[in-house]
Amino acid sequence: MTLMRRGTIGIAVGLLLLLGGEGPGALAQGGPPIKVGFSSAMTGPSAITGEGVKWAAQMLADEYNAKGGIMGRKIELYFGDNAGTPGEAVSAVRRLADVDKVDVIVGQTHSGACLGALPVVKELQVPMVIEACSNPKIRDLIGKNGNEWAFRVNPDDIMLANQFAKYIAQSTKTVSIFAQNDDFGRGAAAAYDAAFKKTGIKLVSTEFFDRGQADYRPVLTRVKRANPEAVLLVMLASEGSVFMRQFREVGLTQKLYARGSMATVEFLHQVKDSPSIADGLVEATYWTPALDPAWEKQWLERFKVPVRVHGSLAAIAFRYALAPAIEQAIKKTGKADRKAIRDALETVDVADTPVGRIRFDDTHQAFINMLLVQINGGQLKLLEKITIQP
Amino acid sequence: MGDLVEQLVHGLTLGSLYAMVATGLALMFGVVRLVNFAHGEFYMLGGYAFWYAYRVLGLPYPVAGVAAAAATAVFGLAYERTVIRTILARTWHVQLIATLATSITLTNLAIIVFGTQPKEVPTVLSSAIAEIGGVRLAWQRPLVLVAAVVVFAGLEWFVARTKLGRAMRAMSQNREACAVVGVDVQRVALATFGLSAALAGGAAALVSPLFNIFPDVGALLTLKAFAAVIVGGFGYVKGAIAAAFLIGVAESLAAGYLSYAYKDAIAFVVMVAVLLVRPQGLFGRRIGI
Amino acid sequence: MRALRFGLGGAVLVAVPWIVAAVAPGQQRYILHVLIFTALYGALALSYDLVVGHVGSLSLAHPAFFGIGAYTAALLATEAHWPFAAALPAGIAAAGLTALAVGVPMFRLTEHSFAMGTLGFALVAQIVATNWVEFTRGPLCVTGIPKPEIGPLRITTLPAFYWMGLTAVGLIGLLYHGLTTARLGRAFHAVRDNEMLASAASIHPLKYRMLAFVIGGAMAGGVGTLFASYVGVLCPTELAVSLTVNLLVMLFLGGVGSLRGVVVGAVAFTALPEILRMAPTWRMVIYGLLLLVIVIRAPDGLEGVIRRRSSAPRRPSASGA
Repeated sequence: MTLMRRGTIGIAVGLLLLLGGEGPGALAQGGPPIKVGFSSAMTGPSAITGEGVKWAAQMLADEYNAKGGIMGRKIELYFGDNAGTPGEAVSAVRRLADVDKVDVIVGQTHSGACLGALPVVKELQVPMVIEACSNPKIRDLIGKNGNEWAFRVNPDDIMLANQFAKYIAQSTKTVSIFAQNDDFGRGAAAAYDAAFKKTGIKLVSTEFFDRGQADYRPVLTRVKRANPEAVLLVMLASEGSVFMRQFREVGLTQKLYARGSMATVEFLHQVKDSPSIADGLVEATYWTPALDPAWEKQWLERFKVPVRVHGSLAAIAFRYALAPAIEQAIKKTGKADRKAIRDALETVDVADTPVGRIRFDDTHQAFINMLLVQINGGQLKLLEKITIQP
Repeated sequence: MGDLVEQLVHGLTLGSLYAMVATGLALMFGVVRLVNFAHGEFYMLGGYAFWYAYRVLGLPYPVAGVAAAAATAVFGLAYERTVIRTILARTWHVQLIATLATSITLTNLAIIVFGTQPKEVPTVLSSAIAEIGGVRLAWQRPLVLVAAVVVFAGLEWFVARTKLGRAMRAMSQNREACAVVGVDVQRVALATFGLSAALAGGAAALVSPLFNIFPDVGALLTLKAFAAVIVGGFGYVKGAIAAAFLIGVAESLAAGYLSYAYKDAIAFVVMVAVLLVRPQGLFGRRIGI
Repeated sequence: MRALRFGLGGAVLVAVPWIVAAVAPGQQRYILHVLIFTALYGALALSYDLVVGHVGSLSLAHPAFFGIGAYTAALLATEAHWPFAAALPAGIAAAGLTALAVGVPMFRLTEHSFAMGTLGFALVAQIVATNWVEFTRGPLCVTGIPKPEIGPLRITTLPAFYWMGLTAVGLIGLLYHGLTTARLGRAFHAVRDNEMLASAASIHPLKYRMLAFVIGGAMAGGVGTLFASYVGVLCPTELAVSLTVNLLVMLFLGGVGSLRGVVVGAVAFTALPEILRMAPTWRMVIYGLLLLVIVIRAPDGLEGVIRRRSSAPRRPSASGA
């Protein structure tokens, strides 16, 4: 048999198998279920973020379905794996849209994956709610800038940097940045570089490290020599705990500022053998346990580990933006299909969620509050809530 | 100047880690001519075993450390009997791919079993800071260095003085002759694996209090250990140890003075440079371990 | 007769977009996307097999050539506004030239050192792509890579990309076939199977290894360019060493050293997860175990299994059974 024929038969067989794989039937109670696809990095070097998103999705589905769903329609979960790369994001979105037939996608956590997904959700006309992608370029691409199907709930660091820099400038003149070597860290470092210039702070040095390389001493020694007044840490709790141990080992005593998931229960849990290791740290973030202690408790009970930041971000996007939009869509049009959800997202306006007012501007960006959270005596303290200006 | 000393100290810690892992790799290559791409996963498993013994079971540090090394050794033995025995006679392509496949399987199984969250295992020594000549370091670091030296001395004694060790050395020099003379080749191969795995597991018990343990931790470690083995002259254990320290110090200095972001490239740049200038390794291709 | 079968098969492959639309109208876009990735991976796997299967050099540098081709073309297109017709050859050339530059020192090394050296190169390539942010944008990725335009042809729809992928795998397959048969193929195989004997017969191993390495690298660069223009975004994660692992699975699953085998392997590897739908981490465990079992028990892969079946004697034996 020639290659060609065998290949064609293979394709035909594949098609038949694919067709056979329809999703579960509709649970009819108040209407067909609302299919929500969560897409994140389930495999690859960033698989830890996908795990957080998946757990959050499961908790959210259970929470809403226990109440009978949204307007009597249950939430049905689907998951996509973008492995943190744009190529896989394209596959994940296409599968969620065309095979699983989801009504809306929440994702993609990593900026490369977000950027890869954007043209596809536009082509397939599926609404996507971005929960954590931090590349500022995204804002230039969505909403009136060319993609009516994508919405972003999280702020990027350009939006946060000015405020945070002003806060830091009140008491500090020289700063060194330590940032993870990915889209989040690089984007933040660039944003704070610009913001520091505006507020008269001198950026002494910027160091990048690969996530998972738990060996910071060479660069800590360098910073000891440069001796800034403060350090700005752009990292997650899992790296932050090792970093802080080595920070103290080298004997550094700089003021601590952070952007990531340092002022979190997760971090405190990792350093519970030395709980005051990061005392005084002030983080600019948009989630803290004080906003919803029940969520933290439930997570801990269910998964036996503290809340993951990417889970919190997915929850914010779903709870305060998407769920109200779905409710609005059903109330207004009786439907929760893709177009109805998209239209609802464009006009949704929820005034007093725990993260602030949820409303997307014409670039489909929401402006949730920035929080300043401090670690004090091994505890978290919410210092300030700052509204972000559009 | 104080800086340089500090970077050197750090380089020695790294070097000790790389050396312990590379020694196992060099032993396996020297004695049974095997390329083991899953060696880093021995370290990873040893790390998890240590975490379990120390954090979950609450065993005292030395006991947990020995338990970790022992558990890894057991795994190494099992690995030899199942996978390795079938690929020993095959081409090195097959060996490389088979062990690479094992590495993927183990790493992903670790994600499933232990989860993606890194495990931290701080010990008393890793939190206690010593100040020696203006350099601050956790007591765990000198421990790592001292332990490494003890291990290498012990290994040398083992290879020179015990029957099994001498058989290993003999096999690394001339395998056919060993079989003829009546050395139990299978048993020696098995023991080599157990020993290599124990070295990696022990290294994990020593070093993970300073860093952390996650499923992927073995990947980069395997590659750097390989770099050390190659630079040291395939199969020559002392060469691998020296090369490992060289790489550790070079990496630390480069990270401190050149660029932290590119530090992982250093090991490979050194390796490629040495390979091009002296393809037989820094110390020449010695016969035997 | 053969030509007719080829022609028919070719016609069917070209007609796939319409066939899919007719057979599975709701999922045709997804299926076409999977086929596009399959075609690109197939082309990449073939380019890798030239080096691994036909001259027997276990190079681990392929992701670097894929990435260099992709980045060269993507940056030229987005920064210097080069048209696709110019960016594609540039990507191919950049990858091929890099392979030439890397191959010369690498092939002086033997066996394990060669593998480690090429692996080291691949790692350094990814590290550079990630950290040389001024040039490659690093983790912030190259965005807005334009869709291919060749003269009046604009490749923007899925069927168009599918035909582009089909053309790529077809061209590379033809080249592969030409390189691995007749005299050149025999020379390659001589070098692979018995280097000493080959040199004794004045078939210089280095020359043939370099030839396969450079052509394979250049092809990989071409595939990288096409991949980047299809996805539209290029990040350093695409140069990950795990790509080599995927390619090895494809080669060994299907049958290293055989065109049909490698293509089957690529199809199985890319299409299978779409059909199986298991949790992604478990899928990786399965791949690992699959690769392990295949390389030990059936290193000729599916192709070998099929060959052995079809060449088993069917006539009664001479001893009279």
